[in-house]
Amino acid sequence: MTAEQRARSLGVHLVLIAYSLLAVGPILLVVMNSFKTRSAIFGSPLAPPDATTFSLVGYEKVFRSSHILTYYSNSLIVTLVSMALVLLFGAMAAWALTEYRFRGSTALALFLSIGIMVPIRLGSVAILNMMRSAGLNDTLTALILVYVAQGLPMSIFILSEFIQQIPKDLRDAARCDGVPETRIFFEVVAPLLRPAIATVAVFTIVPIWNDLWFPLILTSSDSTHTVTLGVQQFLGQYITDWNSVLAALSMAILPVVVIYVILSRQLIAGLTSGAVK
Amino acid sequence: MPESVSNITAQMPRAKLAGLLLFFLGPAVAIYSLFSIYPLVATMALSTYTSDPSGGRHFVGLANFQTLLGDALWSKPFWNAFGNNLIFFAVHMCVQNPIGIALAGLLSLPGLRLKGFYRTVMFLPTMLSVVIVGFSWNLILSPLWGVASGALKAVGLGSLFAPWLGLESSALVTLSLISVWQFVGIPMMLIYAALLNIPDELIDAARVDGLGHFRIFFHIKLPLVLPTISLVSVLTFVANFNAFDLIYSVKGALAGPNFATDILGTFFYRTFFGNQLQLGNPTMGSAVATVMFFIILVGLCLYLFLVQRRIRRFAF
Amino acid sequence: MANLRIEHLNKRYGATTVLNDVNLKIEDGEFVVLVGPSGCGKSTLLRMIAGLDGASGGDIHIAGKPVNTLAPAERGIAMVFQSYALYPHMNVRKNMTFGLKFTGVPPAERERRVAEAARMLRLEELLERYPRDLSGGQRQRVAIGRAIVREPAVFLFDEPLSNLDAALRVSTRVEIANLHRLLKSTIVYVTHDQVEAMTLADRIVVMNKGCIEQVGRPLDLYYAPANLFVAGFIGSPAMNFFEAKVGSVEGGCARVAGPGFRSFDLPTASLRVGDTLTVGVRPEHLGRGEDGPFAVEGVVELVERLGESSFAYVRRADDRLFVAEVRGRQTPMPGERATFFAAARDVHVFDAASLRVSTQNDA
Repeated sequence: MTAEQRARSLGVHLVLIAYSLLAVGPILLVVMNSFKTRSAIFGSPLAPPDATTFSLVGYEKVFRSSHILTYYSNSLIVTLVSMALVLLFGAMAAWALTEYRFRGSTALALFLSIGIMVPIRLGSVAILNMMRSAGLNDTLTALILVYVAQGLPMSIFILSEFIQQIPKDLRDAARCDGVPETRIFFEVVAPLLRPAIATVAVFTIVPIWNDLWFPLILTSSDSTHTVTLGVQQFLGQYITDWNSVLAALSMAILPVVVIYVILSRQLIAGLTSGAVK
Repeated sequence: MPESVSNITAQMPRAKLAGLLLFFLGPAVAIYSLFSIYPLVATMALSTYTSDPSGGRHFVGLANFQTLLGDALWSKPFWNAFGNNLIFFAVHMCVQNPIGIALAGLLSLPGLRLKGFYRTVMFLPTMLSVVIVGFSWNLILSPLWGVASGALKAVGLGSLFAPWLGLESSALVTLSLISVWQFVGIPMMLIYAALLNIPDELIDAARVDGLGHFRIFFHIKLPLVLPTISLVSVLTFVANFNAFDLIYSVKGALAGPNFATDILGTFFYRTFFGNQLQLGNPTMGSAVATVMFFIILVGLCLYLFLVQRRIRRFAF
Repeated sequence: MANLRIEHLNKRYGATTVLNDVNLKIEDGEFVVLVGPSGCGKSTLLRMIAGLDGASGGDIHIAGKPVNTLAPAERGIAMVFQSYALYPHMNVRKNMTFGLKFTGVPPAERERRVAEAARMLRLEELLERYPRDLSGGQRQRVAIGRAIVREPAVFLFDEPLSNLDAALRVSTRVEIANLHRLLKSTIVYVTHDQVEAMTLADRIVVMNKGCIEQVGRPLDLYYAPANLFVAGFIGSPAMNFFEAKVGSVEGGCARVAGPGFRSFDLPTASLRVGDTLTVGVRPEHLGRGEDGPFAVEGVVELVERLGESSFAYVRRADDRLFVAEVRGRQTPMPGERATFFAAARDVHVFDAASLRVSTQNDA
């Protein structure tokens, strides 16, 4: 490496490190300060907690005065069930659209792709009316149904691209082997779609976990709030109690960060797999 | 020549094919139609009605739209929200996309070390909830805490600090920048993926031709990822004209100060659900949603007919 | 084991005709190779036999039974794909038994068949491995094993060797030939490689533009191509062609003359004076030694040395090139003027309709 090349490489790293700091700094700041006493939060916000400034008072308050565990379990139920259904129904529809030729298949594909670009949120007024008349308002079921409808178009689009990449010979071989069509999907095609899960997750599952809008309009009681809504309401209520606010924010941040760090390799591979060009 | 679609259906009995299609497509089409398309259509239909205090609904044609766009009581906040939304979008286009492109360009440099680490870290904010991000920045920029002013003082720019989120003049741009900070990961990743798809031989050929890194980026790579950039732009457009969470969580439904940060999403929410100042009005809310739908539709059509058509996709 | 009969088979995609009135009879136990340039319809024909593509018209019978409306699995066929098409998430054993599950083969019988196929293909050690851990040749053998355990009436091979490297291709070719000898099964095999076709086939079907050009034993195709296409397709380097005309007809002999070669007599009664002909001679049949009825002269332009023999590219007086194979160490030098001869039985003559003109030399 010449001196010039080394200088350039150093410059590139400096820029990237600077931006990385900008990206995680605020998150780090919030999480760090959530473990400190009130005086330390204001006295030396940039210092990590030490023996004298460490405090969990904010977390105690959050556990005491909010149903944070209920929120977690609600978010978990809604996200996991939605994810399972989005993946299952999405993959089934993508398979039928890519594999079978039938009259109207193009029209159906277009119909299904409307939802990629047009946000379902604009139908909120009617969704709320529907859920009320079906007696589903303020239930997790309502959230799940809406999220599945919201996630399906994108997941069908992504999974279709993945299914097209599965060699055609494989399905033909299965047909020569006498495997019934449904089993071809579930036993040959579906297992090969595992890499697609990460891509679908980034584009449809993460937005579900993070959504504020539908919990806000469809749920009204503590027992059905998700983490995002629950924390949002808690923050509004305890806005002056910095310990609690920082603790509540951290509790919303940490699980996502932990899961993200564990799965980041797959998630990023899914994002850059070229399925979405 | 073998085709992408299997010809297996040609030999299949009709009833069997119908059964398979029903099995595979039924659930997705049913849920999607019932909870996505039907509500959109029903909302548009509802926008042509009005409700009286007794709860009865009357068909009024386009009267709601006349009120929305003609009655100053409605049109002023509507155009305010629309204008703010345009600024919100403009900031994203002018800041988010260039930064995303630049970062993607740096990340895709051959032989860069710690690539995975940078990618992971830079994409992290995108994974978090808008609510959490908005509120965290609210704290950081708060004069009460003094983190932001402290940081500026440390580099000798202390005099520049102002409570940006609280000022009518700067609140909207500040919120836009917070959103940019969070979502820059998406253009970065999509463009990064597109850059990775460019064959190495092409870059090698350019180097043999004597082009430097900068020129290769601007003359070879950038034109080749233009389709991705335009896709990112249209994704940004749809997301921005549908945004709500950030403003709502930082500024509340009233989008203060003095509606300076009101965008269509918050305007829609206020109209639909009501707030301290007014009662909720589902039919007017539907009208606002319908107008938002058409704004997004116009944007999509402009993209499809003006941009998409002119951009040539290159096969490698 | 069964025979296969194809009658008036047609295949169209919209306006393009992929197969045009194909008729073919394959006997029980016969190894038939479909060969032709890419896009000639050979793979489509194979896929139609398999039932993976539907016919636009015509019939396919397997073991005397019409199969047009049957699904692939009901036709009694097994197919080996170019890409092997092994299920990547199943080990070798599962790959071979997966299909049997659905065709009602009891578990004990499945195991017996897998064991037998594994022994035959030397796969015993690999049964628990996954396709990603196998080499190309091993994957190929698994793909063949998966076909064998189905005990099909007809085996279909779709360019099974084209993903292998040259050395492996030769050894696998020998293995397939042995397998056929062992199983005595009916095989339809598609390839674009004429060496594979010549070495493996009992009979070769040469296809071009959706039509069958000629069906015959390998050496028949080589020594008596039925038309210009087959003459040019079989053999490498390709046969040299010379334009010619019938100068005179006398006593059952036609005098064939044309630019660049010496006129010669052709013992045939079917030609008239003035008929346009094409004369074809294979490079390996052009020699510099003894005089023959056919002689062509020119200036050597380029010599490709392969070792055992060399190819001389020679420019004739009428400025066209032809190729001659020269054996041994004495290769001609570029610039050298040379005359090449061919024996009467090695000279092929085709009429204006590109069809072979039969002569007494053929007998």
